[in-house]
Amino acid sequence: MKIFSIAILHAPPSGATTVLSTASDLTSFSFFQRGSVQEFMTFFARTVAERTQEGQRQSVQEREYTFHSYNRGGAEQIAAVIICDQEYPVRPAFSLLSKILDDFTSKVPQSSYSNPGSISFPDIENYIQKYQDPTQADSIMRVQQELDETKIVLHKTIESVLQRGEKLDNLVDRSNALSAQSKMFYKTAKKQNSCCVLM
Amino acid sequence: MASIQDRTHEFKTCVDSIRSRSALGNRGVEAKQRLLQNGRATTKSEFSRMASSIGKDISSTTLKLNKLGQLAKRKTLFDDRPVEISELTFIVKQDIASINKQIAQLQAHGKQQEAKSASTSIEGKLLEEHNKNIIMMLQSKLAETSMTFKDVLEVRTQNMKESKSRTEQFMYTATTAANQQPSMLYGNQRGGADPMSDGSPMKFDPKGKSRAVQDGDMLALDLDSAEEGGSANGGAFMQMQLVEQQDTYIQQRSTAIESIESTIAELGQIFTQLAHMVAEQGERVQRIDADTQDIADNVRMGHNELLKYWGRISNDRWLMLKIFGVLIVFFLLFILVS
Repeated sequence: MKIFSIAILHAPPSGATTVLSTASDLTSFSFFQRGSVQEFMTFFARTVAERTQEGQRQSVQEREYTFHSYNRGGAEQIAAVIICDQEYPVRPAFSLLSKILDDFTSKVPQSSYSNPGSISFPDIENYIQKYQDPTQADSIMRVQQELDETKIVLHKTIESVLQRGEKLDNLVDRSNALSAQSKMFYKTAKKQNSCCVLM
Repeated sequence: MASIQDRTHEFKTCVDSIRSRSALGNRGVEAKQRLLQNGRATTKSEFSRMASSIGKDISSTTLKLNKLGQLAKRKTLFDDRPVEISELTFIVKQDIASINKQIAQLQAHGKQQEAKSASTSIEGKLLEEHNKNIIMMLQSKLAETSMTFKDVLEVRTQNMKESKSRTEQFMYTATTAANQQPSMLYGNQRGGADPMSDGSPMKFDPKGKSRAVQDGDMLALDLDSAEEGGSANGGAFMQMQLVEQQDTYIQQRSTAIESIESTIAELGQIFTQLAHMVAEQGERVQRIDADTQDIADNVRMGHNELLKYWGRISNDRWLMLKIFGVLIVFFLLFILVS
């Protein structure tokens, strides 16, 4: 489950998209492939963003890569594309895109869209690193995971409580028997005292 | 009884209109002449026309309601026709609302007539009373129809619950267990905001589509809202039309959240089970405690008795030794002597 790259683009409806900020994690490729892979990813990100209409989310599958794109449009007309492998779950991918877009629009002013080189958005690197494991980063998945763990712990607890119950049953029986025996002991002792007065 | 139409009202209004046309007495003729001259015959027959149209509407609504009742009474598991039933419900509701509006119009009309006419004349008074009676009758008919509608909806809800429980018996899954408890997240969602894109800060996007249909099953008919014509069901239908194209993502989110909710509910159940078991075991522990107390007491008392016995014997033996010693000495003496 890997994310290969995240790209934020300015996507006006006229069709000419410009890449505003991008971050890639190309550690899985060999050193010599990285350049071409980067170009390929940028090209694909731009194409997919161009083909995604405003307010629409799309997922495209190409060989072993999956592209999820979300064109938010709005006042800034920006879109975000994430390139990941097939295993990456779809829903957190889109929530990641929305989160990045919100973050981006709050941090980077719209005026610098015309000059992509000047935009510095280092958070995008953090995002890509953090979201390599979606179960930790996506809150819904994290909650679900923690709940599942809690459920397992609770199942174990209930099993141990059942065993405790059995042991307690055992103890009840034994203490009952012991109580009867001690009563017999007391009665015998008392009888011995009262019966043989002479001796 | 279901298929009999109640057209008494129409008959009555026809009779009234005919009677106003035919002459019953001089006063009636004069009154009629005056009415004709004032051009009020048109308004009066207009009144009766409106009343008769309302009566027709009521009768047609009653027919539809009967058909709805027939459909709702069916208890089959699989041949249920929810689309038809919901359509019919919608139509009947709209009819009732429109009839109500018409009656209100009629009432306003009647009041207007009252204000216009000189209410001092006896015929005028009779006319007003007659109009009021017609309006009251129409209103009571409408109330009856609404009551029948409510009963039919209740029957329908009941049957749906039963069929759901029967379906559950055959196809039980964990999700149905969770769905028994009405989802609290979506409980306040009647007629709420249309499903928004994810630009909103709220994490729980209300999803109109499938939840609306499910909420529509649990019908709570509110007569006031039925008259307004915009009840929760009407809002839910509008929500279905407003669904965005891109609702797969939203659906996925809501599914994920629903599963979280069901997990939490399960956890709650597990906790209550746990508490129950621990409480039961607490009672056992108390029994053990009481038993051990008894054991301690018994053993102590037995120990006391033994101590007493031992004390007695150790004290007495001295004397007994002396008595026996003396006896043995005497026996020996007697044997030696003899």
